[in-house]
Amino acid sequence: MASDVTCERLRENGAELALGVLSGRQRAEAVEHLEQCADCREYVEHMTLVGDRLIGLLPPAEPPTGFETRVSRALTRAATAPEGRPHAHPSAPEHKGVRGRARRVRLRMASAVAALAIACGFAGWGISTAVEAITATPVPAVESEPVLVGDLTSPLGAEQPAGEVYAHPGPPGWVAMSVALTGSHASYTGKVACLLEHPDGTTTHVGDFALRNGHGNWAASTPVDPSAISGARLTSSDGTVLATADLQVGQVQTPDVD
Amino acid sequence: MQGIRFPVGRLPDEALLSGLATGDPELAATFVRRFQHTVFGVAIAVTGDPQLAEDIAQQTFERAWRHAQIYDPRRGSVATWLTTIAHNLAVDALRSRRSEPMAPEDLDVLLDVVSETPEQWALADEASARLRAAVAELPREQGRALVMAGIYGMTAQQIADWEKIPLGTAKTRIRTAMAKLRNTLTSPKRGDHGQ
Repeated sequence: MASDVTCERLRENGAELALGVLSGRQRAEAVEHLEQCADCREYVEHMTLVGDRLIGLLPPAEPPTGFETRVSRALTRAATAPEGRPHAHPSAPEHKGVRGRARRVRLRMASAVAALAIACGFAGWGISTAVEAITATPVPAVESEPVLVGDLTSPLGAEQPAGEVYAHPGPPGWVAMSVALTGSHASYTGKVACLLEHPDGTTTHVGDFALRNGHGNWAASTPVDPSAISGARLTSSDGTVLATADLQVGQVQTPDVD
Repeated sequence: MQGIRFPVGRLPDEALLSGLATGDPELAATFVRRFQHTVFGVAIAVTGDPQLAEDIAQQTFERAWRHAQIYDPRRGSVATWLTTIAHNLAVDALRSRRSEPMAPEDLDVLLDVVSETPEQWALADEASARLRAAVAELPREQGRALVMAGIYGMTAQQIADWEKIPLGTAKTRIRTAMAKLRNTLTSPKRGDHGQ
């Protein structure tokens, strides 16, 4: 058994794992054990059901006036929009031009990261200097290929930009983050964790890296299923969410020079 | 969704969810109307902040719409799926506002809410009623640990700090409380295979 976690140890932490409150490292070890142990998997599934039903005991509450209309209109607009995405934040269209340009720059960077990543074989390595060097020069046309991309922003804040995220299905699949925190975390120095968010709200810990004064770049190999990933999250070592990103499928393609 | 000739309010939850992709405004309104109280209830219970809870509730519906195709009814009802999404988003919001401490009275109120069995819950499914009763029977300190971990998303270390108890004690309280609830749900009184 590759995992050091025994069934007994798993049962000690299984409830916390099911409730999503186990720390990153313990969680990773527990998940590794679960991949090999059907009994413990069943145990955690039962605990997860208990957790879900506990949340189900919370009483319903009346949302603010107009909530139903606002949300249903947003969903309808999203379903009929060309890009098929809801616009939750009224300010989003104002940034469209900037975002479009940023996206093209990002796609160039994504292709550069992809090339670099594949060349280096991935192992959770820092890519700061290399990526900066590559993105500072024109990038030749590349093959069109899907990649998940997204802007990192401060959670629930005023959409302050905090960097970018890329996730490539591969093979080999990989995730890259380029971080430039702003606001209250702008001077953050220390270890951070990259987590991928799934549509059901759960997360997968991909790896850790270091930020210096709120800045850093990083990539690691990991399986990437675009249909099972909805976003990414950057957290500090104590679990504080520093930034989040919604991920969309884009295309790495010939650069569009402004 | 063209061709619907009966009240969409009668559509099953899963059909409504699938129908969101059509862009039919009536389906969207029906879907939101059906689940908004549940979703907002989770968000406001966890955050205690109406504005933040509204943001979270809206994000929950958007996520549901965006990822409707991967919803798996075998893993739970649409309502459960939505409450899970809302809960995860709310806990994230709490964690990002770590500087704002949870008021002790809020914790006790919430514990009372999830364990109360007034008449309005009489029509709830039996599994939920049994679960409420089981929560009510927990020693108070275990119930508090359960609510802190299971609803507020606090880690065992955070609970230990909050309650001024050793980490091992906090972990034991969470584990013991969860085990009791699990036994309640899996007891052979009556099968409950979903929601």
